[in-house]
Amino acid sequence: MITSHKRLYYIILLLSIILSSCTRFESVRDPYTLYIHISAEPGHLNPITSNEAIASSINAYIYETLLDRDYDTLELKPQLATKWEISSDKLHYRFYLKKNIYWSDGKPFTADDIIYSFNVIKDPKVANAPLKVYYIDVKSVKKITPYIVEFTYARPYFLALEICGSIPIVPKHIFDDGTDFNTHKNNRFPVGTGPYKFVTWNTGKTIELVVNDRYWGPKPDIKRIVYKIIPEPNVALQMLKKGELDVMALRPIQWVRQTNSKHFQESFYKFMYYQPYYNYIGWNARNPLFKDKNVRKALTMLINRQAILDSLLFGLGTVVTGPFYIHDKYYNHDIQPLPYNPVKAKEILHRAGFSDSNGDGILDKNGVAFKFTLTIASASKFAERLATILKEDFAKVGIQMDINRYEWAVFVNKVDKRDFDAVTLGWSLSWEGDPYQLWHSSQVKAGSNFCYFVNAEADEIIEKARKEFDVDKRIAMYRRFHEIIHDEQPYTFLYCTPALVAVSKRFDNVIVHKRGLNYTEWKVKQ
Amino acid sequence: MKGYWSIVWKRFKQNKLAVVGLCIVIFLFMIAICAPLIANNKPYILIYKNKLYFPILFEYNEFSGFDFKKIEGFKIFPPIPYSYSEYDLNAVVLPPSAKHILGTDEQGRDLAARMLYGTRVSIFVGFVAVFIYVTIGIIIGALAGFYGGWVDIIISRIIEIVMCFPTFFLILTILALWGQSLLNVMIVIGITGWTGIARIVRGEFFKLREQDFVMASKALGARDYWIIFKHILPNAMAPVMVSATFGIASTILIESSLSFLGFGVQPPTPSWGDILSQSRDFIDFAWWLTLIPGFAIFITITSYNLVGEGLQDALDPKQYR
Amino acid sequence: MKYYILKRILIIVPTFIGITFITYLMIRLAPGDYTSLRAGVEGELKAGSLSKEIFEQEKKLYGLDKPVIVGYADWFYKTVKLDFGSSRKDGRKVISHIADALPITLALNILSIIIVYIISIPLGIYSSIKKDTLQDRIISLTLFLLYSLPSFWVALLLLKYLSGGDYLNLFPLGGLYSDWFDQLNLFQKGMDILWHLILPVVTLTYGGFAFLSRYTRATMLDVINQQYIITARAKGLSEKKVLFVHAFRNSLIPLLTLMATMLPGLLGGSVIVESIFSIPGMGMLAFESILSRDIPIIMAITSISAFLTLIGIFLADIMYAIADPRIRLEAKQ
Repeated sequence: MITSHKRLYYIILLLSIILSSCTRFESVRDPYTLYIHISAEPGHLNPITSNEAIASSINAYIYETLLDRDYDTLELKPQLATKWEISSDKLHYRFYLKKNIYWSDGKPFTADDIIYSFNVIKDPKVANAPLKVYYIDVKSVKKITPYIVEFTYARPYFLALEICGSIPIVPKHIFDDGTDFNTHKNNRFPVGTGPYKFVTWNTGKTIELVVNDRYWGPKPDIKRIVYKIIPEPNVALQMLKKGELDVMALRPIQWVRQTNSKHFQESFYKFMYYQPYYNYIGWNARNPLFKDKNVRKALTMLINRQAILDSLLFGLGTVVTGPFYIHDKYYNHDIQPLPYNPVKAKEILHRAGFSDSNGDGILDKNGVAFKFTLTIASASKFAERLATILKEDFAKVGIQMDINRYEWAVFVNKVDKRDFDAVTLGWSLSWEGDPYQLWHSSQVKAGSNFCYFVNAEADEIIEKARKEFDVDKRIAMYRRFHEIIHDEQPYTFLYCTPALVAVSKRFDNVIVHKRGLNYTEWKVKQ
Repeated sequence: MKGYWSIVWKRFKQNKLAVVGLCIVIFLFMIAICAPLIANNKPYILIYKNKLYFPILFEYNEFSGFDFKKIEGFKIFPPIPYSYSEYDLNAVVLPPSAKHILGTDEQGRDLAARMLYGTRVSIFVGFVAVFIYVTIGIIIGALAGFYGGWVDIIISRIIEIVMCFPTFFLILTILALWGQSLLNVMIVIGITGWTGIARIVRGEFFKLREQDFVMASKALGARDYWIIFKHILPNAMAPVMVSATFGIASTILIESSLSFLGFGVQPPTPSWGDILSQSRDFIDFAWWLTLIPGFAIFITITSYNLVGEGLQDALDPKQYR
Repeated sequence: MKYYILKRILIIVPTFIGITFITYLMIRLAPGDYTSLRAGVEGELKAGSLSKEIFEQEKKLYGLDKPVIVGYADWFYKTVKLDFGSSRKDGRKVISHIADALPITLALNILSIIIVYIISIPLGIYSSIKKDTLQDRIISLTLFLLYSLPSFWVALLLLKYLSGGDYLNLFPLGGLYSDWFDQLNLFQKGMDILWHLILPVVTLTYGGFAFLSRYTRATMLDVINQQYIITARAKGLSEKKVLFVHAFRNSLIPLLTLMATMLPGLLGGSVIVESIFSIPGMGMLAFESILSRDIPIIMAITSISAFLTLIGIFLADIMYAIADPRIRLEAKQ
């Protein structure tokens, strides 16, 4: 038997061994490495098959396209192409490629890569349906010389240049090896021509990039980028404060309550900037309750959008009135949002035939009570809070609204099947868009026009604008379109909410462009 | 049978902790029933324009849309003058104060009102779900135990199949299929939880069917279901009761966990698990949103477990030899 | 006896098919499928991404347009060859997903089981010796209260008050490794992981003490009063020897049988604990794959877990049969 003395001795020995290994380490950090927070891990980094925003943001530094968008003017400018020519019938787009561009593994970039990428996009066996739909009108891509390609478009379309110019290009010599493109090993080991090249992917932890020595453009100051995957926002904020992260997208509550200390202000910039996005409540016009546009207007007037923005979102955002990005040239700033006016709304409903004829506290018309269900996705906390507030507000005027919350997969399914009365969602827009997919009557059954918006004048405008290459004429058309939408209220438009980003002050030249932040221009402070 | 249960009750009473548990259970029950009387934004009595409105005001529709706190007139409000869904965007996430005894949540809703109505969700889910699965378990277990043979083999395999499913996964999938609602949560817990009861009942039936009184009934020509339900089952109830009581506790836990993950009741129905999950955003300063609902879940589960323990001890012949 | 074992083994196959088929059926019937996730994420849809044409094309590629029976047969055929397929989300093999998550969950569960046993058994023995005294009652009450504490609440409280520096900073905020993990040597790496596992393990274990110690106490009490113990005492053996050698040994069999039923539980991670502590174990893998309808992963996890549960039940029954001759005889009939 071990005597009690010896036992004590062993315990002390064990404890000291354990304690000695408990040194707090400070990570030895290289000042030329940028640590960026991402809240979810992308599935893979293949720009053709991936649909995820997070993958695109990482790929933006690895892969390049023929044309890029200027960070300030948002105009198209050359990236892998030096110049382009458009035929007079607007159906042929010829791009002249830069010479002496190399993939990060040393092989030259040529027209073959573009032809290959185009064929892959059209290949029915490749899982990239959204991209296929986007490129549906690109009939062919021809290689004229190793450094000249020509796209043929099916019809004149003002976005054709952008669509052709932004085609995702993957290296043929890597992907064209007989293995299945959908599960190719380089989906998790991208090789591109951009300023950074991929180094390693520690599943669940980090994705690391390093400067591409073969890059054709100016070398960025930051030598390494490490994307850290941290799903928990509280943990991420702690790490930011400890200096383990340099860039983090903050949630509104963190922006307002948890990043105001003196120390934080001294160590971090806080940037708030808008991106093309808006959220809304969509009213299913097939539902007899919402057929009448006056009813939809009244509903909008029952929602105190500004107050909700101020309290639920801490005022971080803007109320919007129409189907464009608020800082877009097409947005019609002359249109004022419908005011919050429950009294007037009640009048409108009354005139539309709604009254409480049976004294049960709920409005009705022709024997049908004003009851409906708002469908929300469980992933969106904002939608849930909005829904509970609306339920209370609507009840006060005699409208009964129930809430149906679904997990995302089921939610999308319901929206796709048009199985909803009203729905809360957001649209993430591109910098230059065309309202066709969301608002044209042809998209009602099988496209994204799931609220059954049908308006002859709107249809006409959309169709004509697609063929209009004069920007000013288009602006006038789309502004009129915005007016129509405002009058019809197929959605109650809610807000455009900004990105809220904290950046460590150890970098200089951190500028917020219209497009956002550009890591390649940052300089490390000495 | 009467004599048996009164003996059990006497033994139960001797266990002080179990009695405390029972009292808490009854107390929570009362709160659940009386919640609209204790917390409501409509007054008990209102004298408005010289008319008396009594007793409970929520039947009068001519007041729909009125904010009672602003009405001119004599009014007596319930002790907590808020409903569980009434929000106030100016009173968001406030600590406990005179106006809101337990503080408010992120939409300015009174926490005390939500907690009180939350008892309804817990108790309702607990009892209904357990009732469902006890019923299913008894029927299946009785069939397997009484008939034995092939019936038993098939039923035992079914029991194994259901037991093999990770419960949570099954619940999530079924909720995805049928939609999230209080009713579906109860049904789903009910149809995944019956295996324990079925095994108990099956075991008891195996023990009891060889007994004399069963042979006697058979000799007298009694039909099978008569024997099962009138004779054997009452004797098998004891362990079922114990398991059911513990089952209520664990059902409440499952429902809280589901609501915590975002898969429980639809908003704005208050559920303690849901309140806890909302508290995560404010965890660094809103201690009332974290401590109070968690504590409530804890006390509820503890009391049901105490009652179950007490019942188990009271029914156990060995202890009182 | 052999006949009994053979019969049991044969029945495992149809049971397994039943379980996996029902799982597959439910996933296919559930509204929404993986293609929904390609349209967007978390309340935001990419403008124009919701189109039936897109969904139909993708469904075809993932084999979701085939009837349920065909889909199941496909899966079964591949699985029997031990080809579990690739995850829909990132194209990696299901095996590597499981190989990433399983060791973590196993470590958590094995640690928890060990700690539960280390603490509960001595407590149980102590309680049985001090039956009905104040100590016994206090232990019983404390363990009982622990058992009733909701684990997600405890996890939240532990995180808030013991980690991260708002109050105390004894433990990390979650995850499995510190940032500087790669700079540590092997021993320090082990210690770092253990440090990260302490809070999750505490959350997983505290509820288990009650049951196991109660069980140990009960079996010890049963055994203590048996004839052979009285004989051993009469023979003059020391109290310690009586307890540990005889009584404890005899209560081992039921304890071991209990372990066999825990076998399938080893693989199941607790979704709640893993999500609160950001631990990428089997619980999170299963949860996320259900939400994203990642069928290959769901089917793989279900079949492995079902297989182990069936084996566990089988082993437990065998042990009962060995321990209790009555069952053996009955089976012979």
